[in-house]
Amino acid sequence: MTLKYENVSFTYPGATTGIFDISLEIGKGELLAIIGASGSGKSTILKLLAGFVSPDRGRIVIDDKDVSALSPEARRLGVVFQNYALFPHMRLWENVAYPLKVRGVAKGERQSRALDMLGRVGMRNRADDLPAALSGGQQQRVALARALVFDPQGLLLDEPLSALDASLRVEMRDEILRVQRASGIATLLVTHDQEEALSIADKVAVMRDGRLVQIGTPRELYETPANAYVAGFVGQSNLWQGKVRSHGVVESEIGSFACDTQGRSPGDAVTVFVRPERVLPVADSEPKSAGGELPASHFSGVVDADRYLGPIRRIDLKVSGGLIRLETHLRDAVTSVRIPADAIRLLPAN
Amino acid sequence: MSVRASRKALAAFALPGCITLGLFFLLPVGAVMSGALTDGGAFVRLVNDPVFWNGLKGTLVLGTAAPLFSLIVGFCIALTLARLAPKARTAALIAISLPLTFSGLIVAYGFILLLGRAGFVTLLLAKLGFDPAVIGGFIFSPFGLGLAYSYYLVPRVVLIVLPAISNFDRNQLIAARSLGAGAGRALIDVMLPQIAPSLVAAFCLTSAVAVGAYGTALALVGTQVNILPLVLYSKISETGTDLPAASAASLVLIAICVLIISLGEAVGRKGGASKVTRQN
Repeated sequence: MTLKYENVSFTYPGATTGIFDISLEIGKGELLAIIGASGSGKSTILKLLAGFVSPDRGRIVIDDKDVSALSPEARRLGVVFQNYALFPHMRLWENVAYPLKVRGVAKGERQSRALDMLGRVGMRNRADDLPAALSGGQQQRVALARALVFDPQGLLLDEPLSALDASLRVEMRDEILRVQRASGIATLLVTHDQEEALSIADKVAVMRDGRLVQIGTPRELYETPANAYVAGFVGQSNLWQGKVRSHGVVESEIGSFACDTQGRSPGDAVTVFVRPERVLPVADSEPKSAGGELPASHFSGVVDADRYLGPIRRIDLKVSGGLIRLETHLRDAVTSVRIPADAIRLLPAN
Repeated sequence: MSVRASRKALAAFALPGCITLGLFFLLPVGAVMSGALTDGGAFVRLVNDPVFWNGLKGTLVLGTAAPLFSLIVGFCIALTLARLAPKARTAALIAISLPLTFSGLIVAYGFILLLGRAGFVTLLLAKLGFDPAVIGGFIFSPFGLGLAYSYYLVPRVVLIVLPAISNFDRNQLIAARSLGAGAGRALIDVMLPQIAPSLVAAFCLTSAVAVGAYGTALALVGTQVNILPLVLYSKISETGTDLPAASAASLVLIAICVLIISLGEAVGRKGGASKVTRQN
């Protein structure tokens, strides 16, 4: 089953916010994550697919069938909500069996299928409990079981981990991935947590002001962001405004960079983008041309902030004209850095 | 850390309530009880009177039908109010609560002016070809009386049910829809069981009010419709005054109201207890 948005637009009544001309496709067994700041329209994307709101323009297509006008119950999609929305008056197995009950499945069969599904998420031994007796992570497992028990055409996850502790979140996202892979179902994950998206999604879409800014694999998004917004939103980044001075050299607010300027002409305005982990500390004794880099990509300064993050340190180095953020596992003092040419990407100027 | 009030302070706070309860409830009930029991034949005369049995039947029918109708209407209104913005909800609640400030007599006259034989709506419908005798007679029938009762029962239902609906997590309904339930089924399977205690409480309270209501009934139907409050009225105001039998009828009315309220409490407690048990 594939889930598709075809040129979908939607604005909320009496407001200008919404989503505009969105086209997306989620293939069978694929997990697409949508990330974006608050109000970027990522939850609206989910609501449109689930049928909670209808598009003003465009089509929602499930397995080649236009479902834009269908009610939520007719779309056969499993949804896991941010607060899980378990029914507090029903036991766990009754919660999981509910989609089967409304489809007229006999009690014996629905109980058996619900118990089986609870077993798949490791909750079978709690089948007779009420949701109130469970922790957040356990409720999340039950919500996942309930969303999958009726073999839906797609799985929609609306910030499913945001209510959990950081440690449990990591455990649960692996659990979600395991269950999703086992069921081979097209899945849409809406989250504000970029780490969550990058770690479990096959593809990630970045939204901004109701528009799709970039879609790609987590690696594409991280290493080759389309613009400064994506670069800044996904992971840590250094972004400096600059101009191409000559072939292979870019002049920026903090100095000059030696990098690939192919496709750009001298005088073109650019944003210089470097990930902090690609910035390399230089020992005082190391010659400035070490590593075959041009001296243009070397910078010296004083440490403005040094954050200890366990395995690494995140350092802000104050240099002439601005800051360089770097991440290093070294414990030594840092006063000079170099940036290899292949670590530098030129993005459109802001 | 909690601060405990002294026994004396607690007693001082409870005193006004106790005095009020004694003066305006226990004393009158005691007087009524004494009136009914000192005359040994009062209850016998009452149970041998077919008017009493007809009145009891009418009271039970009215005390069930009017609250049931009010519950359905009030529930729908509360559902709508729960979706409104807080300011709009407050304004609507003030408007809805207004009928509670009116006496039963005013309500009755209002209905007569509106739906009576020369009422505004009756005349309007007559112009459209409806029979004014039928339309105008409706408000003076048991059904019309039930409608008039609903006028001040519906606000009570709304005020009791609205907090439960407002606190209900609507995501559960959305979840039920996404899991395959239609809108009605989601409401019945998911919302109603959770707000059932407040619905039962609303029904019992409005039923008790309907059973004891007197002014509206007297103004609208006089003694044409047999209900216990009017039987009681006839026993203290007509030529055949029988105060001991009236006291006995009062006790029957009180017993019915106590029974209804106790039933509501029992159901409410059972719901709460089963919730606790299931959670354990």
